[in-house]
Amino acid sequence: MKLALFIWVCTIATSVVLTVIVCKIIEKSKVKRWGATGSLFKYE
Amino acid sequence: MSERAIIYIVIFAGYIGFMVWGVLKSLRQVESFSDFTTGGHRMGLLLGVGTSVATWVSVASVMGVPGYLYRTGAAAIIGWVSGWFLCTALFPILTYKIRMPKVPMRTFPELLRLRYEPHTDRSPMQITVALLMFVGYFIFTHLQVVGFGIVFNTITGIPYEYAIFGFLLILVLTCSGGFWSVAASDTINAILILFGLVVGCVTVLSATGGVGNIMEAIATTTAPINEGGEPLPPGIMLTATGSFGAGALFSIFISNALGSFVAPHWITRFMAPKNAKAATLQMMWTLLFLVPIFICLIIFGLGAKALLPSLPVGKTTDYIMPLIMDQYAPPIVAALTLVALLAAAVSTANSMLLHCSTSLYYDVYIALHGRKNMDQAQATRSLRFCVMGLGILAVISAIKPPLLLAMGFTYVYGAFGSVFLWAVLLGVYWKKMNRQAAYVSILIGFVTYISGRVTGFVNPMLLSVILSFIGLMLALKFSPPPPLEAYEAFFEEDVSPKTMQTILRIRHEEETQGEKA
Repeated sequence: MKLALFIWVCTIATSVVLTVIVCKIIEKSKVKRWGATGSLFKYE
Repeated sequence: MSERAIIYIVIFAGYIGFMVWGVLKSLRQVESFSDFTTGGHRMGLLLGVGTSVATWVSVASVMGVPGYLYRTGAAAIIGWVSGWFLCTALFPILTYKIRMPKVPMRTFPELLRLRYEPHTDRSPMQITVALLMFVGYFIFTHLQVVGFGIVFNTITGIPYEYAIFGFLLILVLTCSGGFWSVAASDTINAILILFGLVVGCVTVLSATGGVGNIMEAIATTTAPINEGGEPLPPGIMLTATGSFGAGALFSIFISNALGSFVAPHWITRFMAPKNAKAATLQMMWTLLFLVPIFICLIIFGLGAKALLPSLPVGKTTDYIMPLIMDQYAPPIVAALTLVALLAAAVSTANSMLLHCSTSLYYDVYIALHGRKNMDQAQATRSLRFCVMGLGILAVISAIKPPLLLAMGFTYVYGAFGSVFLWAVLLGVYWKKMNRQAAYVSILIGFVTYISGRVTGFVNPMLLSVILSFIGLMLALKFSPPPPLEAYEAFFEEDVSPKTMQTILRIRHEEETQGEKA
């Protein structure tokens, strides 16, 4: 049971990490059409 | 009619009224074919999260997952919950690439056509992918109708074989407005699902006496799944692999994780948001919104085993949620939870039907006729008729359901992963990926997966993914590189006029219409 819950929590953490990485890539591109706003979690 | 039945019907009628209001409001938004299929690529974050949550939470999640938790315990958390969560966690890898083009594609087969056959008038790739999608989504819709029938039978007492026809009433409502109608009703449904599951979970906790009592009960239970069946080995419900075995559980996990990662309905969802970052954020917030929903489902599934150790003969584990609510919850709480289950079935079914119909009408019929400028109004009207027709067929096919809900989803996701994984992933990340390699990977993936399932191979998806990768690498070695128009939109901020012209031709649009989109 503990292993099952641990795997589940890891997937949630993976989501946050990958989203931050992709948002950083978009910000670094500075392309407004892709959603670069100067702020990591703002898209417009 | 009992007092409980009257309360069920009143709350169900209120739900229908709410849906009608939402659909009437959203109908004003329908303007073009793009609006009908992907909301015109201008969806904001809030509506995007609402519609993604509601599509994500299907009957496979709200009825199938508690059913498998009841059947096998913790293993269902690894196989289904973690599998689907890993898929959602990996989505950012695809979201920003899919939504990167200035004029995005409108359907999944159209996306693969641009990537692999940008210069053909009638694309065999678009048609083949659409036909494969059609089969998969028809099975998905069929499973939602089965879930709907189980719950509608509990609410109204109408036998299952007739209850499934109630699905057509709601289908007519939600599918008349296309994507915006589906998105609006999905957002209402997402709120209902969360609320209904929370009250259902509280009911189970109060009936069992809390999490401690549930864990104690499932640690020692040997009660068979159905009355008179074979007893379970003691302690099996708390083991990581349950009654599956490690190989079979890994196969389920990988099908749910990698298969749904490239499922066409999710790829199409990524084309709808305003921009690439909105598409990426949409999936993270969706996943975080799903956490409380799945905590409730896990407590519900395990708690059900403590409350009702064995199911009556003739009932599958998909019935566990309606049965528990009907027996243990006060009428209003039970009605709210049952309406939430209906909402889950409806919200996923209407979305699946939209994909199913679009693939058949737009990616097969229109693609075969090769129309240069499509009549938008006629296309939208024809698509509505297609949705209705397929809905009726899905209901008829559900009269005798052959599969358990959650396992049915796993099979279709496994097929999608086997067939589309490399064509999608390498298509948006590797400029060298070409038409020949895509065909080889799709063909090997399809044949291997079907053969593996038929012969009972333990992990057909993993085998398909490995063999199709080897095949595509060999095909790449002996075939020319793709033209610039095939990949430019997925790698560059601005594309050449020739690439833009190609995209607009594939979308059956004049240049001016394309600029608007």
